[in-house]
Amino acid sequence: MRLSRAEAAAGLPAAAPAGPREAPFPRLLPWLLTIGGALGLLAAFVLAVEKIALLRNPDYVPSCSINPVLSCGSVMATPQAEVFGFPNPLLGIAGFAMVTAAGAALLAGARPRRWFWLGLQAGLTFAVVFVHWLIYQSLYVIGALCPYCMVVWAVTIPLFWYVTLRNLAGSRAARPFAEYHSVVLAVWFLAVIGLIGVRFWPYWSTLI
Amino acid sequence: MESSEERTAARRSKVDALRAESRRQEVRRRNLAITATVVAAFVLVVGAVFVIGKVGPGGGEAVAAGESRLVRADSHRLQTAADGKVTVVEFLDFECEACGAYFPMVEQLRARYAGKVTFVTRYFPIASHFNAERAARAVEAAARQGRFEAMYRRMFESQKEWGEKRIPADEIFRGYAKALGLDMAAWEKAYADPATLDRIRKDAADGEALGVQGTPTFFLNGKKIQPQSYDEFKAAIDAALAG
Repeated sequence: MRLSRAEAAAGLPAAAPAGPREAPFPRLLPWLLTIGGALGLLAAFVLAVEKIALLRNPDYVPSCSINPVLSCGSVMATPQAEVFGFPNPLLGIAGFAMVTAAGAALLAGARPRRWFWLGLQAGLTFAVVFVHWLIYQSLYVIGALCPYCMVVWAVTIPLFWYVTLRNLAGSRAARPFAEYHSVVLAVWFLAVIGLIGVRFWPYWSTLI
Repeated sequence: MESSEERTAARRSKVDALRAESRRQEVRRRNLAITATVVAAFVLVVGAVFVIGKVGPGGGEAVAAGESRLVRADSHRLQTAADGKVTVVEFLDFECEACGAYFPMVEQLRARYAGKVTFVTRYFPIASHFNAERAARAVEAAARQGRFEAMYRRMFESQKEWGEKRIPADEIFRGYAKALGLDMAAWEKAYADPATLDRIRKDAADGEALGVQGTPTFFLNGKKIQPQSYDEFKAAIDAALAG
């Protein structure tokens, strides 16, 4: 017994003395997945309901059509709102529900195998690419913002970011990103906010 | 008896663990500090831009004396009322079919209210219309030679020839300029000049700020109106003239 303990202690690599390396963000990830997933789910659900209302009555003014720039109606009526032949929020309802459930499972102490995390990674990678395409479309092609869609943008980015960092843990290249995780996230968000600010500057400048 | 070797190893691993923990804390602290700095820098820059935009001299967005967002000093007036009491401002896109449909109506109103109502035209090319911005540039380039109205008419009268085509219509517009007998060297230069595009974008930015979402959008004495017919339009103008 003693001998084995000594062996174990001596055998630990100096760089990782804390024992078997723990996955990063053990406390953050479960909550992020649960709360982020739930927010995304809520936004996608509201968008789907608004879309149905809009289909039923083309004159319907969605609850988030506030002014010329913040206008769901003009965004929801575009072809970009149903890229795959059906309304985008349907993807969100399915995807965010899964993310929420995964978060809840982690909170309950689940220790998923690697393939589960890779599955989550695949879904979130698709989501983050899609979201950035939608950001581009919204800003530069449609020229309007839809608040519920922006909630989806805002949760998808951190979900993707932290799940990716978790899955890349142990890789040397990912280490600085894991250490300065919130710097990257802040720059990411500020870049999107900056683009929105610049794009709709004439409008924002009339508000002050 | 415990070997001293074992004790040393245990102590070393404890020290290493403590060291790793303090390094982790240091990294965490630095991460938060840098994040806060980045956010603060962003807020400062945005704040500075806002302040400069508000009080800075000659900010592009500032509305100079004697002009408004609706009618700038450089806005094209098709005709001016002697008393300046009633002004109709139209934000238009030369490729928009609805604008083309309103064009004869506006012409009729202009004839009816010549000298009584000011008609102002503002550019509002819509991104999804392939040649709308080109058309606006062609008109603005003609305007530099004092031929705004002629080119404006030409665009709407011939809209079917070039509209909705999704291929560059530069050659067609060049033809119109030639047919109007413009100084072609000057026209070409203005057509390609980034300043021409800026001039158009400035109109569109004013439109966006005023809440213009589509074209044509009409403002009657600063109020957005949506006349569905000539009679409705006429009634609105008559009311403004009487009021």
